[in-house]
Amino acid sequence: MWTNRATTMVAIVTTAFTLACVGVFLLLYVNLLAAAGWLQDDVKIMVYLEDRLASDSVADIEQQLRSDQAVASLLFISKEQALGEFKAQFPSESHLLEGLGQNPLPASFVVALSPPFHSPDAIYRWAERVRQVAGVSKVDYNQDWIDALAKVIHSIELVAIGIGVILSAAAVTIIANTIRLTLFARRDEIAILRLIGATTSFIHIPYLLEGAVLGSLGSALSLVMLKFMYELFRQQMRATGRFAGLDNLIAFLSPSVCLALIALGMGLGFAGSLVSIRRFGEAKA
Amino acid sequence: MIQLIHVSKRYDQRSALSDVSFEIGKGEFVLLMGPSGAGKSTLLRMLIGAEQPDEGQIFVHQKNVTMLRRSEIPYLRRKVGTVFQDFRLLPKKSVFDNVALPLLVQGISSADIRRKVTEALRAVGVDHKRDQLPAGLSTGEQQRVCIARAIVNGPVVLLADEPTGNLDPALTSEIIELFKLINARGTTVVVATHDPLVMEQVNRRVLTLSQGTLLPERRVKG
Ligand SMILES: Nc1ncnc2c1ncn2[C@@H]1O[C@H](COP(=O)(O)OP(=O)(O)O)[C@@H](O)[C@H]1O
Ligand SMILES: [Mg+2]
Repeated sequence: MWTNRATTMVAIVTTAFTLACVGVFLLLYVNLLAAAGWLQDDVKIMVYLEDRLASDSVADIEQQLRSDQAVASLLFISKEQALGEFKAQFPSESHLLEGLGQNPLPASFVVALSPPFHSPDAIYRWAERVRQVAGVSKVDYNQDWIDALAKVIHSIELVAIGIGVILSAAAVTIIANTIRLTLFARRDEIAILRLIGATTSFIHIPYLLEGAVLGSLGSALSLVMLKFMYELFRQQMRATGRFAGLDNLIAFLSPSVCLALIALGMGLGFAGSLVSIRRFGEAKA
Repeated sequence: MIQLIHVSKRYDQRSALSDVSFEIGKGEFVLLMGPSGAGKSTLLRMLIGAEQPDEGQIFVHQKNVTMLRRSEIPYLRRKVGTVFQDFRLLPKKSVFDNVALPLLVQGISSADIRRKVTEALRAVGVDHKRDQLPAGLSTGEQQRVCIARAIVNGPVVLLADEPTGNLDPALTSEIIELFKLINARGTTVVVATHDPLVMEQVNRRVLTLSQGTLLPERRVKG
């Protein structure tokens, strides 16, 4: 395996750079997803009640909302509280309401949904359902904002998958080429092994292992590079001061994702070997 | 032990073998003669499944080689030893390791390997060179190592393609004597050669190929 060290090193390093690019996107994706998660956690849904609703009905609605498994927390705001809040928030505007003689603001529930229902789809479906409840006049939340966020996440997902697929194919090609060189350098030895009755698996397994090891080493090295870049980036953020505190919010890939990346490298290396062994076999036959 | 039934083989449009039929019994020593390009190597390659005939059937050790699946061919080759003009030894492995190779690929225990390799090296007379690299050996010795590798498995058939092509007359007769010895122990031996000297030395059954066809058989008197 270490017969041509230079080619092997080149293969590991190129694979590492390739997979590091995948890693950068993964890192970006993971962090944006986390950020999106925090933002979505903050989404409050306003369930406005019809005016002059009997307190029995209000209690019914409250009961119904509380027993809803999607609802994480619930806060009732009476007409009076709503008015109070409005006045507190917009003191200069309060004369607008005084002229009306009666309180025009509706009573409402402020609902926070539990995490499984944070996706834009789930929020939409929940809101549609509650809109049908008798006594509810309006369900409101910042739909545009959530939709925009969902779109951004979705496109990042697509880009990440696309880039991941392309770069993975590149890694497979790099490793396939390296193994092809090894196979070529060893073609006499392989021919001899065939002649003396070595099975195909006996002949191929060392090369498949070599590919898998190259791939794993490449991806391990890519993680080291990634971690280095990540620390450098955080340090830069701290140094500029402008994003102070934010640097702690940026997460590195979790250990399980790191393991998955190494497994991916191993799989890509294995696939690379398989490709060149297939080609080599065809050329021989 | 070996049977060919109406075997033909062509490369592109050129015929390498046409309608060759013969039978070789267990324990025979047969010379396959014919000038260069007659089809001797092609025939031997087909006996170990390295090449498939376009027509006809080939049986080796009761197996129809033409019907073998790819995965079965290695097991055929463990029963058929092969020796070549160019030796085909691994240059970076010692004599011992080269001869051990056919056993190694079968997963045989290292104690058994040591015993069998020693036996084979003694049988061909190069046991004293076991730790050297092939390049450190004379051509005659290299051919002996190659023969040791071919017999280490205890094959039922030994095939040799121009085994003396690189050897001078003295070495040639030594190697031929070795083949006779191996044959005397019950292994069927087939030697392909264009060297008349070998034919004189062997004095056994001769199959002659000429431009891919088998000529009527004769026995050399010595
Ligand atoms: N792999 C091959 N591709 C094309 N032609 C071949 C191949 N092997 C052998 N031949 C042709 O088949 C004929 C028989 O060759 P070969 O079996 O090597 O003869 P011999 O061993 O008797 O010298 C020759 O004409 C040779 O050119
Ligand atoms: Mg030949």
